[in-house]
Amino acid sequence: MSRKRQPSKQMRLLLDILSGARDQWRHGYDLMKEAGLASGTLYPLLMRMTEQGLVEAEWREPVQPGRPPRHAYRLTAAGMALALERPGHPDPFSSGEALA
Amino acid sequence: MTISLSRIIMTLATASMGESRREWAMAMEAEFAAAAADDAQFRFATGCLIAAWRDMLRVEEGRFMLTSYALALGLILPMAALQVGCALFGLPYLYPGGGGLAGALLEGRAHEHLLRNLYQAAILPLALLQLLIGFGHVRVAWGMLERDWAGVTRTGTAILAGAVTLILFMSIFFLDSRQALLLGSIVGVELAIIAILARWHARLPIGIGQPG
Repeated sequence: MSRKRQPSKQMRLLLDILSGARDQWRHGYDLMKEAGLASGTLYPLLMRMTEQGLVEAEWREPVQPGRPPRHAYRLTAAGMALALERPGHPDPFSSGEALA
Repeated sequence: MTISLSRIIMTLATASMGESRREWAMAMEAEFAAAAADDAQFRFATGCLIAAWRDMLRVEEGRFMLTSYALALGLILPMAALQVGCALFGLPYLYPGGGGLAGALLEGRAHEHLLRNLYQAAILPLALLQLLIGFGHVRVAWGMLERDWAGVTRTGTAILAGAVTLILFMSIFFLDSRQALLLGSIVGVELAIIAILARWHARLPIGIGQPG
């Protein structure tokens, strides 16, 4: 899906975090802590990015037994492309990350 | 802040998310445990509630839910209270002259001794009918929020039939059915609005906003 509008400051922040480890699934609460965003900001943002095809979500089994499955997120190819479009974004190839 | 208050806020948040956001509500719920482990459950739950309410205004299903609650709380339940109040407490509405049930039974009137027996026999079933119309409104409000449109249609039809019966009997007994006609008209408007709401619900896209 093509995206005309510039990402918001919070979306840029989230794109930065998620593009830092392209293939790693991240949980909502961990993203909140790392981005310093409130849940009231993070979840609407994740919903919007999912609807725009920038983020994919998946239920992941918990690491600790007895805990419920958790929703995890990572960038799609479109999300990664948008993250890389932005000026000042670190080149993923220089850090050894390959684009799948 | 106690965990129970945070839990209540979290439950309210997930309940406000609607069907199309059910998976997101479950996602928030699953993260609540992680927030609680960090003793940040209140802030997390409050944020989720704000997100849910903001999302309600943004998506069509949320606007539908808000409209349903506004209609139930602003029109249907006040009508129920009015009908039950008239039937149980003899509020002046419905009966001519503003005398309530006592006035309808001709208490203190010159022709009371001629007609009282007849009116006593008729007014009490009418009051019972009005009481049933009132409770029917509560059932309609509940069914509307549960999206049980078949049940709402059945109860709404019964209420309409009751209102028409009231209109006929008020015309016969008092030669004045203005208030009953007003009641019947309001019931008609209510049912028309509910029919529009049911059609809106049928048109709602299922699955919009679900994560892929």
